[in-house]
Amino acid sequence: MGLLALGTPLDWPEAKQSANQVREWGVKQLLAIWNKAKGKERDALLWGDEIEYLVVNYKKDNENVTLSLRQADILHALAHDEDLCTNGGCVPDLQTVKRNGGPPLPIFHPEFGRFMLEATPGKPWGIGFKDLLDVEPNMKLRRKIAKDHMDAVEYPITLTTYPRLGSPGTFTTPFYPPSGSKLRSQFVPDEIANPHIRFPTLAANIRSRRGRKVQVNVPVFKDENTPWPWKDPTVNYDLHNWPEDDDVRNGASPDNFIHMDAMAFGMGSCCLQITFQAKNITEGRRMYDQLSPLGPILLALTAATPIYKGFLADTDVRWNQISAAVDDRTPEELGETPLKHNRWRIPKSRYAPNSTYISEDNRLRKEYLDPDLIFDPDIKQQLMDGGMDSLLATHFAHLFIRDPIVIFAEDLQELDLTKTDHFENLQSTNWQHIRFKPPPAGNDIGWRVEFRPMEIQVTDFENAAFSVFIVLITRAILSFDLNFYIPIKKTDENMQTSHKRDAVLNDKFYFRKNPFAIRTPRPYSANGGSSGTTTPSISRPPTPTGPVEDEYELMSIDEIMNGSALSSSNDFPGLIPLVESYLDSMNVDVETRCELAAYLDLIRKRANGSLWTAAKWIRDFVANHEDYKKDSVVGEKINHDLIGAVIDIEGKNARKGIENLDKFLGKMAKPCGGAF
Amino acid sequence: MTRLILSTSNIMTGGPSIIRKPGADRSNLELTNSLRSNFLAAQQDYSPPLSATNGSSRDSYDEDQPSHRPQASVWTARDGSDYYIPKIDWAISGLAEEPSQYDITVKLFYLKGADIKDRPQHTKDAVNLVLKELGVPAIDLLIVSFPGMSFDGDCEWEADKKNSAQGNDEEEIESWPVLEELHNNGIVKKLGLAEFGSEKLSRFLARVKVRPQVDQVNVKDCCNVPPPLLKLAKMEQIELLTHNDCTDILPSGTLRELLGQGVRGAGILSETKRGLDGMKGDLTPDWVVKYTAVVRDRGVIENKGYFAAAELKEFESED
Repeated sequence: MGLLALGTPLDWPEAKQSANQVREWGVKQLLAIWNKAKGKERDALLWGDEIEYLVVNYKKDNENVTLSLRQADILHALAHDEDLCTNGGCVPDLQTVKRNGGPPLPIFHPEFGRFMLEATPGKPWGIGFKDLLDVEPNMKLRRKIAKDHMDAVEYPITLTTYPRLGSPGTFTTPFYPPSGSKLRSQFVPDEIANPHIRFPTLAANIRSRRGRKVQVNVPVFKDENTPWPWKDPTVNYDLHNWPEDDDVRNGASPDNFIHMDAMAFGMGSCCLQITFQAKNITEGRRMYDQLSPLGPILLALTAATPIYKGFLADTDVRWNQISAAVDDRTPEELGETPLKHNRWRIPKSRYAPNSTYISEDNRLRKEYLDPDLIFDPDIKQQLMDGGMDSLLATHFAHLFIRDPIVIFAEDLQELDLTKTDHFENLQSTNWQHIRFKPPPAGNDIGWRVEFRPMEIQVTDFENAAFSVFIVLITRAILSFDLNFYIPIKKTDENMQTSHKRDAVLNDKFYFRKNPFAIRTPRPYSANGGSSGTTTPSISRPPTPTGPVEDEYELMSIDEIMNGSALSSSNDFPGLIPLVESYLDSMNVDVETRCELAAYLDLIRKRANGSLWTAAKWIRDFVANHEDYKKDSVVGEKINHDLIGAVIDIEGKNARKGIENLDKFLGKMAKPCGGAF
Repeated sequence: MTRLILSTSNIMTGGPSIIRKPGADRSNLELTNSLRSNFLAAQQDYSPPLSATNGSSRDSYDEDQPSHRPQASVWTARDGSDYYIPKIDWAISGLAEEPSQYDITVKLFYLKGADIKDRPQHTKDAVNLVLKELGVPAIDLLIVSFPGMSFDGDCEWEADKKNSAQGNDEEEIESWPVLEELHNNGIVKKLGLAEFGSEKLSRFLARVKVRPQVDQVNVKDCCNVPPPLLKLAKMEQIELLTHNDCTDILPSGTLRELLGQGVRGAGILSETKRGLDGMKGDLTPDWVVKYTAVVRDRGVIENKGYFAAAELKEFESED
């Protein structure tokens, strides 16, 4: 999330007045990009990963671990480090970053949470296999540079969420009281968010538009001693600072759910996101569609979020919480009251699994599309009048049903068609699990697709493994012309399934049975002595298209990743064997193949259960902690020791005495360590 | 004498035949499966369409019903003494973009039954077929695989040692000039070897003019490359690449089965004494060539396939 230029942000009632103007200008800018870039061809595969960190204050001998709110100071330290500056700099938000011949430095960005940091490689990766080998060392370098510019007690860690964010007591350094004017949260202070005006405005306007605070309710995990029904003991029903304090008295905090009430509970989560540049718009649209069904599978495989606000949750991933944390829908749009002021009932939050397929692919059957898709017909028409095809126009007309949330007064003076700010205003606040990204203004970047569902992993080894896997599966999809289409509503269902505890082992997901392309027959000509008709006929009708329901089936993640067992009635090849078959056909040097084998092995074992997800490892850590009373409570001491273990896993005397690390990461003796 | 030229066409979109099955490492299944499926495909495609027949629906066609097999003349082609199985429509072959966009790798397998002195001709024939199929003037990397070589052994040192005594140095060196010639003519940019251990490789390097720049090895666990080979490769700047092929890629028994009258055969070769239901004679597989065209900068494999050539010495008919 980069920082936009400073300006005067409009409060919600005012911003609402200008929403149509922003949308209209956004459409015009989109058409300008479309017309400029629709013929853009032959862009190389470039890709990038984004790693997000939580910054914690941790001392071995102090039970109280806190989140450090020194994001700005850390970025400042990075931007003013002489060595880093000599090498070109690494904080584009604070300095002009240059390339000085040598390998470019990683880039650091602020994030929504004031306790977060984001880091990306200094330049995009290519498909050269050597590049794939550089990913993990580069991630380690990012972690090291970040750590080097923190206080001795501060550590960048890659947990999706901070386990005791919003718990009673002190969980930030410095301490600030909750119940501020921007977030009006019972649990977290306004200072939890990046102070750049964009972020508090985003949170405040989402709350205003919605008409009440966001409600982030996660089912609590019921352990032996968990009281039942469980009432969130941290909810204060007697607070009267803000009108929104009525929310909990009006039922915002149901029994058996951990209740949270601010954007920070969602947008304060760390994710692992991968962006690819496609060769042209056609390939970009195809990648967008084909990656969509993989989203829930990778979400479940990377599950790492079992704790919220100091309680064990009954879910394993972050997704729905972020979705609820930025849900700006009004009661009318939610279907709670009849439509009067709003145009539509909207079935999903702005942060949700995507609802469109956009590829001009003859394998895309209309049965796969969302029959209940909401889109703005006027905007669709404007886009089509501007030359866009119906499928893509529908996609953008769907994104444009939302209101822009943060509008700066200065930007409403004049429409600049060489910029994309108004388009991006809507595009970048539609947080869907796959994002189709048109070329930005003012440079040579092409059409891109962003894969967004994965959870951040505890180690750089895992983060590199999943990043590289996604890159390789896109190459396999394009090379083998694979087809993963299923009805998009099934992907929604899968996304919910991914949330279940240990879904990776216990649950089944809708997946296409046969991913292979149908062979294109050779054109038949009658010179082989047939009836003698003069027109050569197309040899055979395409394979009959049977009922859509026959094309997919419920499969386990093991089956989807590793292939159907011989005993199974399915014959799914498995995503990992597909990637291996791709690698078998490429010239890969022995060192790279070894590294890739270690990555694929991790994923293979996560999928078949021989290794644990981070979620399972964390649950196990809590369950076996001496302070845990089997009551779902993750107290300060448990939290302290868990964070300590997470720091140690990537720390200097790594991995000594940490419970069950073998079950989590495997035998970490690098298989190729000796040979190279 | 007839030369049989078998081809797979582009196998990238051919579905399951190319996908590695768990436990099926180092097999020639990719070649045999994709040949078989291309034969079936050609039999279907070149048969008259439904409207042109008055009989059974071809939808019911499947490989377990050899009686439905169309006449060989429908889907194969003769050109002098060459016999193409299936026939190749050169008009629809080729690559989507201009040749400079691709990295093209070709691997030529010399087979053990073939005459060593024919290798120069075999090499040129194989390369020419690939150039014609892909519609390109040159290839980036040509790797040759000699018969009788492997990297087998329980431990890496042992495999490297065993390799030293495998193959036949003299024959291998004798086969190299034609490759040097292709390199000097600009048809092949880089040359490579397959399955050369450290000792064989250093003996080879000492005796050739144009040096190989690639050694492709198949080690069960690619993390366990024998250290002497790693060291030599580094010193001599030879790239060590991995592969998953087996050296004995087309044994004559397999070829016979592929072309024979069985339920999984193509129905080209006779299996009766009288030879009424097909060609008949001594069959010798000569070479197999694998080609791969990868879009540079994008890592997308656009075209991959095989040609295989075999000699058929036909018997005099007894009738």
